[in-house]
Amino acid sequence: MPAIRPASKRKAPPDGFSDIEEDLLIFGNKMKDAQNTPTDNIPKHQAQWPIFQIAHQRSRYVYELYYEKEAISRQLYEWLLKNGYADAMLIAKWKKQGYEKLCCLRCIQTKETNFNSTCVCRVPRAQMKEDQDVQCVSCGCRGCASTD
Amino acid sequence: MVKSTYQPSPSVLQPLPPGWTEHKAPTGHTYYYNADTKESTYKRPGVAPPPPASAPPLNPHEQQLRAAPDCPQINLSDRPSRTPFMAQYGQRKANSTVAIPGCEPWILVYTKYGRRFAYNPAKNASYWRIPEKLMPAILELDQARIREKAEGRAPADQQQTEPGDNAEKPATPAAEQPDEAAHDYDSSEYEEVEVTDDEDAEDGQGEDGNARKRQRTEESPANDGPAEFTEADIAAQLAAMNADYGDIEMGEGGEDWEEGDEGLPLSDEDARELFKDLLNDFNINPYSPWEKLIEEGKVFDDARYAVLPTTKARKEVWEEWSRAKIQELKERRAKEEKKDPRIPYMAFLQEKATPKLYWPEFRRKYKKEDPMKDPKLSDKDREKWYREHINRLKLPQSTLKADLKKLLESVPLSALNNQTMASHLPPQVLADIRYISLDPKIRDPFVEAYVQGLGAPPEAGEAAEQEDDAAKKARDDRRKWEKALEERERAVAEEKRRQEKRVQYERGRLRDEERELERAMHVGKRGLQSQLVGEKGEAS
Ligand SMILES: [Zn+2]
Ligand SMILES: [Zn+2]
Repeated sequence: MPAIRPASKRKAPPDGFSDIEEDLLIFGNKMKDAQNTPTDNIPKHQAQWPIFQIAHQRSRYVYELYYEKEAISRQLYEWLLKNGYADAMLIAKWKKQGYEKLCCLRCIQTKETNFNSTCVCRVPRAQMKEDQDVQCVSCGCRGCASTD
Repeated sequence: MVKSTYQPSPSVLQPLPPGWTEHKAPTGHTYYYNADTKESTYKRPGVAPPPPASAPPLNPHEQQLRAAPDCPQINLSDRPSRTPFMAQYGQRKANSTVAIPGCEPWILVYTKYGRRFAYNPAKNASYWRIPEKLMPAILELDQARIREKAEGRAPADQQQTEPGDNAEKPATPAAEQPDEAAHDYDSSEYEEVEVTDDEDAEDGQGEDGNARKRQRTEESPANDGPAEFTEADIAAQLAAMNADYGDIEMGEGGEDWEEGDEGLPLSDEDARELFKDLLNDFNINPYSPWEKLIEEGKVFDDARYAVLPTTKARKEVWEEWSRAKIQELKERRAKEEKKDPRIPYMAFLQEKATPKLYWPEFRRKYKKEDPMKDPKLSDKDREKWYREHINRLKLPQSTLKADLKKLLESVPLSALNNQTMASHLPPQVLADIRYISLDPKIRDPFVEAYVQGLGAPPEAGEAAEQEDDAAKKARDDRRKWEKALEERERAVAEEKRRQEKRVQYERGRLRDEERELERAMHVGKRGLQSQLVGEKGEAS
């Protein structure tokens, strides 16, 4: 989740930016709100969840505009990545089979977790018990297997 | 009352009704095609379920006769408010829904085109043709509305406003409306029908209980305005209706009714188009994410939101719509830019020009930028516009605003109207120096406000020459689709007319019976009036 570069330090955006500027601003405001929300009464591991979720949504937004709707130019897409509007690493995963819905990069890292395996949210729902409620620790994801 | 609106769930594969065949689309979807009607749908068409053994099929006359006394009461006296069903067609506020009393969870949906259809949220089924079992209740609603108009009081769609005097029915305890004990509003007949028609009705209703409640409470009685209907108007309307029905051949009222005639469900395509219409009408930005549409929620109250059964289906159609819309906008923009090289240059000036730089400095500084070397523009022109722009920047803002307004006013409605997106203004605006004089932070809201105050784009023909091919094609497509809908509506209306004839006929018969009854009960006009007065007090 690279931070968004402040407008003063970046090159002017390519054409088409004005089409999405407003929605990016909305994401930006949501992100600020999430960052400024006091996390005193929230379990420590949950404090970051809203931020992960908004970052995910914004990356998804950029990804869909470029890859699925062909709504923005390659220049604009690259500019957005460079300026932190979307997570290039996460998007790179989405392009791979089996990772189309991946919530965050932490959930596929095996090293830091207790069980030396990927996060529980990666388990397809079909393999779960009936009403087992899953929510991962790192980002609050409730399931992001491609088959869900 | 066994005309079914039952739709078999796709998991229970029943044999297809005659005329229908099953196909596989290239996408892998299964769809169904009817060679006779040229209809296709993704939903597996249902057959009318066999009538329950306990209730052998009735002929239409008997059905109607049996149905009428059980349904929310039709008052069969001769007061002018006995207006047939179609009288109110299109008179309701657009995009509203009305719960159909006694026929829950069914609701009546009015589209902005003045069409209406019946919708069952429990089963996600929509019908242009009002299912027969709902007709008496809807007739009742229409009558109530006409009467409300006539009497100048607020509509009370969900209230029983009909003074009934069907003394032959045992009165049910009507807790909410004790004054109307005589007005039996027992809907057990429907529940019975529901259950026999459709085994899962009970489940569906159970699940839907909350949703239904919400729907009913959210339903605010839209005010239809002050009394515009006088008794004379109603009488005239009635007379016209009677003329319409003058050709009823009594005694043959229901002969053309066919078993299994279920009404025309909204085809999948119609539902999708209606949903896209909704997105267009709310000026949804096709670049915006789906979550925004949901979070804002401003489309939820529109009836067309419910024509698609699931969120997944809606998202799918939204995706299709936004992709097409973006493509359309891109093409239009590319064409405009190709057409007028001034547009990118003006945009460039707006961004880069500054009184601090003289033209030669400016030219040197940006000589590598595309707008500065576009061969379609002469350097002389570029210089002239640069100077003019710099000079205009010194003018007071009020002048610049007035100039911009003048520019906007010079554009015909065909090119600039309330459907125009702020990001896709017509070329004659974008290429004009007056457009770039104001800071976009001030200009854009100004333009947006102006555009919102404009009318809708003019109808075809008025502005045909000014349109480019793409817009023309889009319009043609739309017209084609609307025509198809119109044709369907005509078929539906025809069917409705036939049905009304039957209703009319049966009402005539019942009226005679009722008169007899009235005479027997000695219920005079006075009695009826006093009942009506009491109810008026309750409704207001
Ligand atoms: Zn996950
Ligand atoms: Zn995660």
